[in-house]
Amino acid sequence: MSDEKLLVVKDLKTTFDTANGLLPAVGGVSFDLDRNETLGIVGESGSGKTVLSRTIMGLQPRTKVSVTGSAVIDGFEVVGASENDKRKIWGTEVAMVFQDPMTSLNPVMRIGKQIDEALRVRLGMDKAAAKARAIELLELVGIPSPQERYDAYPGMLSGGMRQRVVIAIALACSPKLLMADEPTTGLDVTIQAQILNLLDELKDRLKMSVILVTHDLGVVATRTSRIVVMYAGRIVETGNTRDVFYHHRMPYTKALLESSPKVSNHSHTRLVTIPGRPPNLLNLPDGCAFAPRCSYATDQCHLVRPELEPSSEPGHTFACWNPLPVNEEGALA
Amino acid sequence: MSDVREPLLKVRDLEVTFHAHGHSVSAVAGVSFDIFEGETLGLVGESGCGKSTTGKALMRIVEPSNGTIELDGTNVATLSGKVLRAARTKMQMIFQDPISSLNPRRRVKDIVAEPLDCWKKVQGDERTSIVHDLLSKVGIDPVVYGDRYARQFSGGQCQRISIARSLAMRPKLLICDEMVSALDVSVQAQILNLLEDLKAEYGLTLLFIAHDLAVVKNVSDRVAVMYLGKICEIGPADTLYESPAHPYTEFLLGAALEADPDSPMHSQTLEGEPPSPMNPPSGCRFRTRCPNATQKCADEEPLPQEVAPKHLVSCHYPLTIHHKTPTPTAVDG
Repeated sequence: MSDEKLLVVKDLKTTFDTANGLLPAVGGVSFDLDRNETLGIVGESGSGKTVLSRTIMGLQPRTKVSVTGSAVIDGFEVVGASENDKRKIWGTEVAMVFQDPMTSLNPVMRIGKQIDEALRVRLGMDKAAAKARAIELLELVGIPSPQERYDAYPGMLSGGMRQRVVIAIALACSPKLLMADEPTTGLDVTIQAQILNLLDELKDRLKMSVILVTHDLGVVATRTSRIVVMYAGRIVETGNTRDVFYHHRMPYTKALLESSPKVSNHSHTRLVTIPGRPPNLLNLPDGCAFAPRCSYATDQCHLVRPELEPSSEPGHTFACWNPLPVNEEGALA
Repeated sequence: MSDVREPLLKVRDLEVTFHAHGHSVSAVAGVSFDIFEGETLGLVGESGCGKSTTGKALMRIVEPSNGTIELDGTNVATLSGKVLRAARTKMQMIFQDPISSLNPRRRVKDIVAEPLDCWKKVQGDERTSIVHDLLSKVGIDPVVYGDRYARQFSGGQCQRISIARSLAMRPKLLICDEMVSALDVSVQAQILNLLEDLKAEYGLTLLFIAHDLAVVKNVSDRVAVMYLGKICEIGPADTLYESPAHPYTEFLLGAALEADPDSPMHSQTLEGEPPSPMNPPSGCRFRTRCPNATQKCADEEPLPQEVAPKHLVSCHYPLTIHHKTPTPTAVDG
């Protein structure tokens, strides 16, 4: 059982039925995740990374959305599962940490109670046992004086501490997969480093897998073993973190890396920009979605959409008709 | 840039104190710096350090409780009424949230012309031609988009419109408060390059406030680091990043994530969170989190001392400086 993939996603599509037409937020995505692995999902706003992670969780509106394909978490097919069945895996198989710790906690409920809730409802613990376990969890996520903090309200804690509480709730039922959607966006750099270190440490200690969803290439660079790069609802490149950073084949990956300012740049370094804007998902081009902004685009790119194909390194795939040459070191060399 | 000139902006002992519920919080607790003409000073720090309040106090959006703000020889801090309004035309501010800083119900061309209209500077054809010129400069086609409403634009475009509006009065000083932090990397790079171009074209002087260390380095000539209402270190961007003298700056830089899997992982992260500005520590404000702190740090407040040319640090035990490129000495602060 343990050598089986923890998560297998196949041709997953999430389409919203909006007033302006069908919006393919996730347009056919396939990937898998090993046990005890950290995967990064990277993309800009509107690339579908958040919808993808929510679809895998089985969190989507009840109406005006269609989900097809398959997402299997540890043998459980999420797509098409009933709300009741999904509830069985939430918490114990998969849990999620959302971006904004202020809105994901109940402001008028003591934080201890919010952790208890999961333990009592999902694991059937009694009041005393749940409280003891909640305090243990607060300690696990590095909250100082957990006994006293058990009775605090979210408003009494800083953003970083609140995010630790959210992580404690997510870990309450020992999930095998933790999805973290922009877990450190909005936090200060020193606090961000603390939270990312904590996630790393917990992953090894609790033998979980982690999916880090982020727009920040800095977050995934040193914390993941593999990366999925998304653009306009599809995967455009995926592979081992080092291969994606140093041997990327897809021009979008290159452009994304080059346009991020770096601490090691000299002051007044001119940034490389990507012309134009991401496409409107309601009106996607027939060909490659990045073609209108791509300097390598040819007629073929505008007409036929490229599928993911393997590169020279194992597990490294990219979707491009005119890929960058194999040994191009990218901007970071 | 020559330092024989008088600085365009000379800030001395700036303090801002907020009063609420019988408590007082000194958000800015005695800040002094100069900005020379044509220079970009970056102001970095974590949330709550007072960097935005400093920017707002310079504009007199919040009232300074002490100190002088000398802009082009006039002390803006003591002005009021018409004279203040006139002095304010020399400086403009660009805010973080590009969408909420524009009126969604007004046409773009009127938003950009508003400063001109307020001052009844120009009318008719001249007004139109100035607005067209400004919009073209920021990359928005005035003929196609001038009549559209602000709500019809994306975040990046709204920030372009904000920039055009801020340039309408031909200000000397532009205060940019987290102007790219709400934007995607590819759009952020476009806006940063645009800002650099306009700075050169209009001869602007910039105070660039941001939390993102990489962004600040990329645009700034000099950088000031704030912690809990005070500047702890100020110096030329390249040398300050290469060889920080204040332990806080070193931690801050160590926590910054570089989009590079081979970037060194800093094992030392800054623990804890900043103390409350309502009750700041005695002496050095960083001493409660500083690994090098001694009794002296609690007893005496460290004064700015020059550790290298133009590089000032407020620390009793500054870290060793290893500057590679010495710059000519200047008297500053």
